[in-house]
Amino acid sequence: MNWRMLRVLIRTSEVVAGIGLLLIVLSIFVGESVSAGTLWYIEPMAYIGAGVFIVGAVTTIGVYQFSARKNPVGISDDRTWSQVTQDYFDTFAHDIGRPLRRILGKQREARALLNETGEVSPHMVAELLDEIENQAPNFRLMIENVRVLVDLEDQRAEPAVEPVDVAAIVRNVSDRYRPIARERGQDLVWWCEPSEFGLVYGDGSAFDHMITNLVDNATKFADKHIEVRLTRTEDSFLVRVWDDGKGIAESHLDHVFDRGWTPELSARAEKQSSGLGLFIASTLSNRCGGELLVESQQANGTGEHSTIFTLSLPLDNRSLVSG
Amino acid sequence: MTSKIIGGGQKILVVDDEHMSDLMRSVLRKLETDGFKPVVVAPEGEHITGEDYEAQALFAMEAERPSAVLLDVRFGEYDSDRFKGLSILKSIVDRDGSMPVLMFTQYTQGPYRDTAVSASLSVSASVDFIDKLASPEEVVLRLRRLIGSAPGNIKIGSLFELDPENAAVYAVSHGQKELIREIQGMKLEIFNELASAMYRSEGELVPFSRLERFSDGEDSRASLRVRIRELKVSLGQAVNRQFGANELIINVRNRGYRMVSPED
Repeated sequence: MNWRMLRVLIRTSEVVAGIGLLLIVLSIFVGESVSAGTLWYIEPMAYIGAGVFIVGAVTTIGVYQFSARKNPVGISDDRTWSQVTQDYFDTFAHDIGRPLRRILGKQREARALLNETGEVSPHMVAELLDEIENQAPNFRLMIENVRVLVDLEDQRAEPAVEPVDVAAIVRNVSDRYRPIARERGQDLVWWCEPSEFGLVYGDGSAFDHMITNLVDNATKFADKHIEVRLTRTEDSFLVRVWDDGKGIAESHLDHVFDRGWTPELSARAEKQSSGLGLFIASTLSNRCGGELLVESQQANGTGEHSTIFTLSLPLDNRSLVSG
Repeated sequence: MTSKIIGGGQKILVVDDEHMSDLMRSVLRKLETDGFKPVVVAPEGEHITGEDYEAQALFAMEAERPSAVLLDVRFGEYDSDRFKGLSILKSIVDRDGSMPVLMFTQYTQGPYRDTAVSASLSVSASVDFIDKLASPEEVVLRLRRLIGSAPGNIKIGSLFELDPENAAVYAVSHGQKELIREIQGMKLEIFNELASAMYRSEGELVPFSRLERFSDGEDSRASLRVRIRELKVSLGQAVNRQFGANELIINVRNRGYRMVSPED
């Protein structure tokens, strides 16, 4: 049962209880006794009213208790706790984005001057500018991760369902991360099979976010190559992100999707990332009716090493959403 | 109130109150470099509000007939203008449902995006969203795809040019174009596939499953390999070069082929 239905049920049972009360009150003025000394001595309308009131009141209390168990924060306000927090973080995201925009703007102006006049050309400056530029997707992802995290706290939230060009999402994410991969000496390629992939029904922004986190993760750990491949089966589509990094130890595979886990954590080294990306991608994939799996191969004499994350999601998510 | 319009030709209407910021200037510069003509909507006067931008944007749509609109969501410092861009979007798609609109915002995901989508999908508008922190290259790439118009010719670095309409591949030297006659039939089809993929997205690989229809014989993979080799030889001869395994057309770990711009 979704929350909209619960609200309707509460309102309906409150109205029923109200009608019961009204009948009891009205019975004094408009009803008449059937016969003294019998069950109908007071007034039949009062009995009926009392019955209606009890049904309405019991239902109201029952639904309130049920909803309180599922939602400790309550649903008295039309806006959920998550929506309120969401608003806060949207403003926060805007505020944190502003200085970043200024930095990026200055950086790009400086680069233009460098290219046009050649007067400002120290190699170190160019490297620094590149570094700033390449940090931008990280900032973007961090901001987005905070927003999605808050969203995930809301157990009642249902994934949106819309027609989605998932190939375009993979293309956009790959385009965004390609310069970063190139800067790190990696080659990022992507493709989809079949080439005319068509639309799927699901939560486009969640797809975008999951794929972004997987590609971002691959750029952190790949050695030279990253592949992003989009395929489909009869009822689902698969996004497979492969990298030729050194791989993940088998004993750590179970923890890859834990909140806050990073490879550095297991090595007792300083964390290089938040450890939220894969947790978020995995949680989102479950919410969207799919799953995220990981396979990894570490170099054991053969020299072969790689990690594959496979995101599997239904082609049509419309049945997942109630109402 | 007067309006200042910049640019002409194939036009992109830019509706953003931060159009003079360094970040937006880098986008405008990239648009110009890539052959677009940005038309900046810039209402003049005191106390400019989102309403002024909306009025000017709709006027410019009529007057300038742009190919697409680059639109910000948030205008000014007034709370009432927080999502003015969504209202402008609705006005735009109400006027012209086929107008491609790239919403230049940080709300690329989440409920605000959904609001914008539902406001626009009702009229089947061509609307996409891009983060304001996106690089100018990414903005132009997305805009290009949204408009959906491939260029007349696709340039492969500075050495080659594909003219899909006339089914011709040219070698380019000192501004002069010379037709490469050997590239026709299936070789031309393969070249076209690879060049188009590169144009759409630099990292896009064309899988064997798509390319093998341009090969024949029992071993289609081997046949394709031969065609690609012949293609590279023809292209190399046209510019007096020899392209190695990791140049121009690359076999990516037996997944498919990818075209990369040759170095000068």
